[in-house]
Amino acid sequence: MNDLGLHIGLFLLVTAVVVAVSCMFTEADDARALRLFPRRYATFVVISAVVVAVMLVAEHTFASVS
Amino acid sequence: MASAASQTAPGAPPSANACALATWLVPGAGHFMLGDRRTALIGFLLIQGLYLAGVMLSDGMFLQVLPPEMRGRFAGALTPEAGNLGALLLQGRQVGFGNGVPRPFPEGLHVGMILTSTAGILNLLLAARAHFDARARSGAVIEGAARHPGTCVLLGWLVPGLGHLLQGRVARGLVAFVLIVGLFGLGTALAEGTNLDRTRHFYYWAGQAFLGPIAFGAELANGHAMMTERPEYADAGVMLASVAGMLNVMLLLDVYGFSDAKLFGRPLFNEGSRGGAGEAAR
Repeated sequence: MNDLGLHIGLFLLVTAVVVAVSCMFTEADDARALRLFPRRYATFVVISAVVVAVMLVAEHTFASVS
Repeated sequence: MASAASQTAPGAPPSANACALATWLVPGAGHFMLGDRRTALIGFLLIQGLYLAGVMLSDGMFLQVLPPEMRGRFAGALTPEAGNLGALLLQGRQVGFGNGVPRPFPEGLHVGMILTSTAGILNLLLAARAHFDARARSGAVIEGAARHPGTCVLLGWLVPGLGHLLQGRVARGLVAFVLIVGLFGLGTALAEGTNLDRTRHFYYWAGQAFLGPIAFGAELANGHAMMTERPEYADAGVMLASVAGMLNVMLLLDVYGFSDAKLFGRPLFNEGSRGGAGEAAR
């Protein structure tokens, strides 16, 4: 769990760039692309959090060696 | 009847896909098929000249940078050099992974590899240009509606966001530049410059190559420093810098699609066009 805050911060920063570029790619109009961003970013982060939760549960049950 | 209808009429321009594929194999071949011999000759000489200079400087050893366990028949497929397929296949046949006897890398290895990968990427851009030029001959192009997509994509590769600026999309271009170059800078800082060395990170370097001269310049300036210990966040940095290059490919596709749609008078792809009748009714 070392540097957990740094890792989360990096993740949020990088995903912001990825989602911003995907919004530009999807929407030709700048204003509409900007409006798309918050919902897409939130969706991306929430789904990523769910994946993390599932992986942690799996790690502490099926993959636990302690 | 159907087969007769599908036959190419005498004098009809060659298909766009055939022109792009021909260029992929031999730079300039697509434009030669289109009768644009000047572009074909300039493209061939420039791209193959760059590739040849790179091979001479690197002594043809760019594939020998790969560790033995990563070598294989398709090892070169995920390199920028694969954009110049004919030359890559020829080099693989002539030199490949060497004769098995280890030898030191030449002094010009890194500059040579930059030149060969630049040749590969430029050939991809030339193939995209040939594809557009072929379609432009068979379709109605609105003159002056936008800059040539090939030119905009080339500028977008030279400097992320510059293609958007050329299209008049200033805000988008500036945002693209800040995001992509910022992500690349963050990755390079985290990896302490180790991401810039192709001999360390062969395939991740390929992703960075799509950032063009910015990545190459950073490598030449400070990309081959001796390291006494592994940077703590080297893995994260390498990955971020490579992702920055791949995201620039998405931006180049955006640039190409914008000019292409404007010149052919087609609606731009956006969320609204996917919204169907509900969106159209608004």
